[in-house]
Amino acid sequence: MECCNTKQPWYKKISTTLLGTGNCHGEVNQATQGLEKIALVGSPNVGKSVLFNILTGAYVTVSNYPGTTVEVSRGKGKIGTKEYEIIDTPGMYSLLCITEEEKVTRDLLLRESPKAVVHVVDAKNLQRMLPLTLQMIEGDVPVILVLNIMDEAESLGLKIDLKKLEAELGIPVLSTVAALNKGIEVLKERIGEYVYAA
Amino acid sequence: MSTQLEVTYDRQIESAVSEISNRLQYQYVLSKRAIALLLLQEDEDIIAMVKEKETNNYLKISRIIESTKQKYNRPLNYIISLSRQKKVDTIVEETMTKVQGKENRIADYLSRLTMNPLTGVPILLLVLYYGLYKFVGEFGAGTVVDFLEEHIFGVFINPWVNGVVQTYIPWTWLQDLLANDYGIITLGIRYAVAIILPIVGTFFLMFSIIEDSGYLPRLAMLVDRVFKKIGLNGRAVIPMTLGFGCDTMATMVSRTLETKRERVIATLLLALAIPCSAQLGVILALLSGAPGALGVWLAFIGFIFLLIGFLTTKILPGDKPSFYMEVPPLRLPKVSNVLTKTYTRMQWYFVEIVPLFILASLLIWFGNLTGLFGVVISWMQPIVNFIGLPDKAAEAFLFGFFRRDFGAAGLYDLQEAGLLSPRQLVVAAATLTLFVPCIAQFSMMLKERGVKTALAIAGFIFPFAFIAGWALNWVLITFKVLP
Repeated sequence: MECCNTKQPWYKKISTTLLGTGNCHGEVNQATQGLEKIALVGSPNVGKSVLFNILTGAYVTVSNYPGTTVEVSRGKGKIGTKEYEIIDTPGMYSLLCITEEEKVTRDLLLRESPKAVVHVVDAKNLQRMLPLTLQMIEGDVPVILVLNIMDEAESLGLKIDLKKLEAELGIPVLSTVAALNKGIEVLKERIGEYVYAA
Repeated sequence: MSTQLEVTYDRQIESAVSEISNRLQYQYVLSKRAIALLLLQEDEDIIAMVKEKETNNYLKISRIIESTKQKYNRPLNYIISLSRQKKVDTIVEETMTKVQGKENRIADYLSRLTMNPLTGVPILLLVLYYGLYKFVGEFGAGTVVDFLEEHIFGVFINPWVNGVVQTYIPWTWLQDLLANDYGIITLGIRYAVAIILPIVGTFFLMFSIIEDSGYLPRLAMLVDRVFKKIGLNGRAVIPMTLGFGCDTMATMVSRTLETKRERVIATLLLALAIPCSAQLGVILALLSGAPGALGVWLAFIGFIFLLIGFLTTKILPGDKPSFYMEVPPLRLPKVSNVLTKTYTRMQWYFVEIVPLFILASLLIWFGNLTGLFGVVISWMQPIVNFIGLPDKAAEAFLFGFFRRDFGAAGLYDLQEAGLLSPRQLVVAAATLTLFVPCIAQFSMMLKERGVKTALAIAGFIFPFAFIAGWALNWVLITFKVLP
């Protein structure tokens, strides 16, 4: 893992290593200067970090509870023939932020204006998660909607018409089961098309 | 691609939105419509941003917001969110159908058992007993540590290093730097590899399994009521349990708590009453030998945790926390993720501690060479004696300054030498648990909570740990609890 390779003076690097306060607490920071950005956003515990790990080949900590990711991670990921900076973000329920880690994510969206923003949602809880999609559409954010954990939704008996949802929202919509590596190829394809068209 | 969806809000909000958007002159990353809505919802940061950029207009904009607010008897945030939610509900209704699914009966049943106090508490105790006591305490801190300490370092590495050093290095000062009692290899590396690593490894392995199963949010629901009493809500369970892994990491995760007040309380409690895995493992191993000792330690630390939590809620101003947490489904942990996670955490931990342990050995060596070590120890001795411990325990406390785990490992050496009675062992373990957040944790506190709060917390903990240790010792002697 390439940790802490940010441009810091050597004495700072040594002191952070010695004191154990370097930002190496499970997040990744690869050298990604100059690449176009793709951000993964969404509520806590929907699988953003799993997708990040798949897209970048790095490892950020993944757990089954909300709030595992508290820092932004950046990694390099190849989509089609092009390399992008993939950004994993702390969970965010709404553009109207309450907690500090939500603010981290919104500030990132406002400051860095990514080429594409992948809104990852739990397919079981569309009702609760779509408001953020609507908010981002309102804000002219280049958003792609990913219904993750589709397997659990299906076993609950939920059937979602992706084509129709796509037509309603007017943005790309697709489904994945990130933990089982399903739907990733389609996701990459759609991101590629989307960024190319933009 | 078809045209994007647009949510239409009611007439008054729409007119306010278009009025505000017309006045916004600066180009924001978000559309003017979204900025206008966030302004109406009174998002503090957005208001601050707009105030800064639109110096000429802001007054007019704020008038529009005020007059719109007057028209409703509920907050605009509520009105706006409600319209958005209604739109979402229609979309979901049109695109989603529910057929009879095969619900996961066993998971549902288990899930309910973990959250019901009647069954949840016994389940928690089982998890603690098998996960923590048996696996981390007995296996990790007992079997594995014994093997590495006695067989690998005791029989092979230390004698070999000492021998090599004595044969090839003619200067005692250099010999002592690498080997003998406080050498980099014989003390620093030995503590890190033989004592800390197995404990941390077994802890992280067990913790990863618990994390991935989804048990923690259920535990949060279970203890929410108790936590409310000490000014935290169930959400704080996650930083608190993570603290048993590493308090430094947990202090950072306390960011997920909603109010500043909760974050301060959590930081204080983490620094004071939550031992980290390395400390915990050593303490479990040390105390399980003496009957009753573990119980006394547990009761004492639990008491301090609740007492200080309760007192801080009385003292610190601020709102009572509300609790909202999503409970994800119970899932079967994936072996690959558990292993990768344990491995990356161990790697991170190891990379973090080794330089520090080497540095500590270096400082101790330097202190010994110049006699400074002896001087500091002699200052510490009265304090250590004050809580009923022998002079030699001062060393462990001095080590504890560097890192919690280092101090606990020092205690391990004392116990091996048979220098402590069960009562002294409990007092030492308890004081060391309360005493100092290690350097790493302290610098994380500075980073996350600011200089003033961090110094105030440290300034409280230092004397408090020793006074509490003294009180515990006094109680144990007076009531003849432990020999």
